[in-house]
Order: sequence, then C-alpha cells, then structure tokens
Amino acid sequence: MKYKVSIFLLILMAFALNAFAQEKLSGLQVMEKVYNRDTGNDMEANLTMTLINSSGDRRVREIKQFLRDFGKVEKRIMFFIKPADVRNTSFMNWSYDDPNKDDDQWIYLPALKKVKRISSDSKGDYFMGSDFTYDDLGDRKPGDDTHKILREEKLSGEDCYVIESIPRDEDYMYSKTVTWVIKGKWIGLKKEFYDEDGDYLKTLHIEEYQNIKGFWILTRVKMDNVQKKHQTIMELTNVKINVGIPANKFTERMMKRGLK
Amino acid sequence: MKNITSFMVILLTVAGLQAQELSLTGYARNYTGVLLQGDHEFSIIQNTFNLNVEQSKDKVAFKVNPYIYQYSNQGLELGLREAYLDVYFNSIDLRIGKQQIIWGKADGVFITDIVSPKDLSEFLLRDFDEIRMGITSLKADYYIGDNTFELVWIPTFTPTKFAPEGSIWRPAMPSFPLQPVIDHSKETVKSSLENSEAFAKFSALTEYVDFEIMAGYAWDDDPTMHVVKHMDFSNPRQPVLTGITVFPEHHRLTIGGGSFSTTVGPFVLRGEGAYYQGKYFNSTDPMAKESVVKKDYMHYLLGLDYTLADWHLSGQFIQQAILDYNESIDKDRYSNMATFLATKDYLNETLNLSFFMYYDFNNKASLVRPKITYDLADDFEVLLGANIFTGTSGMFGQFNDNDMVYTQIRYSF
Repeated sequence: MKYKVSIFLLILMAFALNAFAQEKLSGLQVMEKVYNRDTGNDMEANLTMTLINSSGDRRVREIKQFLRDFGKVEKRIMFFIKPADVRNTSFMNWSYDDPNKDDDQWIYLPALKKVKRISSDSKGDYFMGSDFTYDDLGDRKPGDDTHKILREEKLSGEDCYVIESIPRDEDYMYSKTVTWVIKGKWIGLKKEFYDEDGDYLKTLHIEEYQNIKGFWILTRVKMDNVQKKHQTIMELTNVKINVGIPANKFTERMMKRGLK
Repeated sequence: MKNITSFMVILLTVAGLQAQELSLTGYARNYTGVLLQGDHEFSIIQNTFNLNVEQSKDKVAFKVNPYIYQYSNQGLELGLREAYLDVYFNSIDLRIGKQQIIWGKADGVFITDIVSPKDLSEFLLRDFDEIRMGITSLKADYYIGDNTFELVWIPTFTPTKFAPEGSIWRPAMPSFPLQPVIDHSKETVKSSLENSEAFAKFSALTEYVDFEIMAGYAWDDDPTMHVVKHMDFSNPRQPVLTGITVFPEHHRLTIGGGSFSTTVGPFVLRGEGAYYQGKYFNSTDPMAKESVVKKDYMHYLLGLDYTLADWHLSGQFIQQAILDYNESIDKDRYSNMATFLATKDYLNETLNLSFFMYYDFNNKASLVRPKITYDLADDFEVLLGANIFTGTSGMFGQFNDNDMVYTQIRYSF
C-alpha cells in the first residue's frame, strides 16, 4: 500500500462555466481553465476504489476523506476503512501554494501507534495498488507541460478540445498525455497517457460527474491500464461541499483518533 | 480452558447483542516456524485470535483488545492487550485503562519509547503491537493547534516480560564460577503511590519539522542482577567461594530526551536521544557492592528514509554511551548498532518483498529478517520469512542457534 498522496480529487479536471467559452483559446488557456476551477473551501466524501485484474478478480479499497483550503495551504486527511488489514490507517497531506515548497505528508499506522512523516517525493508511485499514480490524483500545474490543441471533436455527445500535453521535464514518467476537454463545461472527459518510451499506457475515462452546490464533481472515473491489463474504478459518494470542516480535523490528534 | 471459553462466550454474546453499534475487527492467524539447525525442531506453532471491540458515542469511547495464543505444546494464553475508556473534551482527551503508549521517531529501537514495557517472549520477532504490553494508566492530552502536551501516570510498575525458563528465547545469564541461586525476593516493585511512574511529553507537528520533548520518572524495565558471593573464611589466607546468589532488582530511572523528524529534499531525516540517570550496570570490580555500579548513560539515533527505484529504504545508526565509564563495567563504553530496511511492492501491491536487519557493531552480530508477503485475497495474507542470527555474543549473537524459517497466514476482518 502506498500512502503518499495527494489523492483523490477526482475533481481534478472539473471547472467553472465560462462566459467566454466561445473565444479562441490556446492549449495552455484550456488547461488553465481546467486547473483553476473553484472547488469550494472544503469537502468530505467517501472514496471507493475497485481494482480489477486481467482475470476479472476485484479488490475493493474504501476511504473517508476530508479536504479544506486554508489559503496558502490545502490540507487533506484520509481514513482507510477497507481492506480490514489497513483499517484505522490515516494519511494527511499539506499542499502549499508556494511552488518551491514540497507537500508535507504523514501516515498513522495503528499497529505502530505513531504518526510518521514520509517523503512526498515519489509522485510516480501507484496509490494503494491502483492504476492511479499520486501525480495522477494531484493537481499538476499547467506550466509543467507545453500544450497544443490537436483538434476539436465530439466525444460522448459533448464538443471537446483535444489537447496534447508534453512535459517540460524529460524525465517525467509520461512522455505525453492527450486530454479531451468539454467546451464550456471545462471537464477533462478522457485522458490518454503515454509512457517514457512513447508507448500507449493507459486511459482515464470520466464515467459520471455531478453538479453539487454549483461545483462540478467527478463522481465515477475509470483508469484502464492497457499494458498491465488492469483497471481501477474510483467512485465518490456522500459528497459534501462547504460544510465547515473544523481546522483541527487536519491534526495528529485526529489521525490517531480516526473516524470516532 | 474453561475460563477462556466462558470469557469468549460472554464477550461474543455481548458483541452479538450490541453488534449494531459495536465495531468488531481483528484477525485470525496461524504462525509456524522451524529451526534451521539441529533436528529442525518447530520453534513455534501458534494459532492466534485477536479481537478489537470498539464503540464511540459523541464524547466518549472504549476499546477492548482480547487475544488468544494457542500453542501446539503449551496450551492456551489469553490476555487483554488493551482495555480503555476515552473521554474527549474540546482541547483535552483523557484515556483511562490498559493501553499501549508509543513515543519517539525511531523504528524498532527503544530510546524515548519507554512508557509501555516490552513482551520479549519471542525476543523481538513478534509484530510490534504484540511486543508492546498495555499498561494500566491515565493519559491526558492537551492540544493547542498542532502542539500537544501529554501526561501519563502509571500507578503500578510492569517490568519487561522475558521468555520463560527453557525457551529458546531466554536471554543468556552471565557466566559465574559456580551455579548461582536466583533469589526473586527483591524483584517485585510493590504497588503503591510512591512506586508509581510518571511521564510527560510536549510534541509538535509543523510544516518544517515534527519533534517531541519528553521526561520520565520511571523504573528500569529490566532488572539489575545484584550478585552476592558467599565465602568461607575458615582459612583466612585462602577464602573459598562457596556460593553465589543473584538478586534481580528494579531501580528507579530518571529520563529526559526528545526526537525529531523532517524532510530534506527526497529524504526523511529522523533523530532521537535520551539521557538516563541512575542505571545500574554489572561490574567486575571486587570493590563494587553486589557487583553493580550506578552510572548515567545516553542513547541516541540518527535515521534516514529514502525511495530509490520504488524500493523504500531506511537506515538508522544507534549509539549508547555510558558516562563516567570505568573498565570494570561489563558493557562497552560505546555500544553501536545499525538497522536497515528495504521494502518494495509488486503486482499492484499484492506482493511485498521486505528485508530488515539489525547489526551490532560491538559483537559483530546481526539479525537478518527477509520476508515475502502475498495477498491471496483482500484481507487474506500469506507470509514466508526467515530470521537469521549471526555472531556468537551480544543481544543477537546469543541466539545464533535459533535461525528459523516461518510462515504466517492471516485473515483480517
């Protein structure tokens, strides 16, 4: 199990409706609209991950997560519920606006009964054995890639920009991604990932999204890794936005206490 | 057996009645180990049932953690690892009852982590939550932002639990010219207010560094072996040693220390240290009363965690230094030890390889622990491992004949 994170945020590619949707945009501007969407001040939700291997065997991970934006820092805390052998494990991440400052991350392991600081350096690690890396689940800054609009086409009945993004860092784990962004809604409806050798690796499919309190939330997504013949389905349920999560939710005290 | 059965029936009946509100978690496990030397005896065949019963309501909660070890040759062992009540206030949490209390930033080494005594029935081979004994205590935590003040009061002292006589994990006794008589009459610390233990800790978790500062007024969990030699002086020119009596006795210790953890680029740097005042060491000085001397000592550690090519690596260097040292003390002035951990996941984290070792520089001895864990299904894990001891003396070398391979099969619920 991997504990680092910056997880979830299936909200990743959601966005706010934009009055200037029809103007001619560059690839960078499209991706900035996806990145800069308003997600509210706080959110709590249940996250279920279903891992499906090539034989069709399923494994299920369940997490309860809380997120709050404190301005210069965004704090997240996750409590692992299933599988049973990781129950009561918790994970906390503080992500800073300062681009020069790495995330701070801690994990509480109930068997050890202590909170351990861990490095946030390995964003290429897969989260809890899923097909999502920590970086896939985080909010990659548009400036980290160069973007180009390849074409405009319909996908699932939606008008989309098709954006090719190439990382500026040549050592990044992907050589290229291609994203289908819905015009006007600014949701990344589909995203293809190509590995370091340029070979097609996996595709993210947005299977369901909802408008909750005026914010677009991706509530069901699937990552299909064609090289490993492995899939991960992520579902968000019981999503609550702007409920006033107290600041002390994001502390060592709560990591140890768990969901009590 | 009857008591255990009755206990479990009551527990499960209560659990059944309250099942709608109670949280019941735990595991069942089979643990089988065989020695690599000699006649390949089984070092352990153990079946374990571990249950966590928990419930919380608003500001209060409780947890009871009964466990049963069933051995193929030694019957049953039943215990309560923890049994406590929680009360939550706005800025204060109280925990009352039998509980495990873990401090410090070190992994697998006990420096400031001295509140809960250790169960060394199987040396250091058990999982850490099984090595830690719960202690009946009152713990109060006061929170200000990301800072915590913690006070612990332990009314009754609990010593380290060593492997019983006859066990392959029984620590070696010092050698004597005659077979000593062990007199346990001074070993028990009487349960009284004066004999209680108290610990305090201030800790903070910040964006730059996490740290703890602690102090304790405690008993030494390990008994000092006071040695009384009986001499026959009928021939004053040539007194004859006629007997030796060893009195295990616990002494007071005063401890102050701290620990920290921070990130430096891709590394996590950890440190921990403590000053122990009033430790008794065995001495060969003929003038030393009962062959012991009282000295202070320091114990400290520096550790580094790093990830390389998906391998999670962790190393620690640990040193113990006896102050005001003299050569008669039966331990080295400096004791140096290191630990190393490497672990990696495969197959979407269903397969894990792990390698852990302790190395004792003074005795050139080590404990090496490779293992492979595979999740056959969610909540069902199979582990194959080995414990290899090298060297001939010291903490690890003394168990050089106990190399073993083992399996653990565990179902968690």
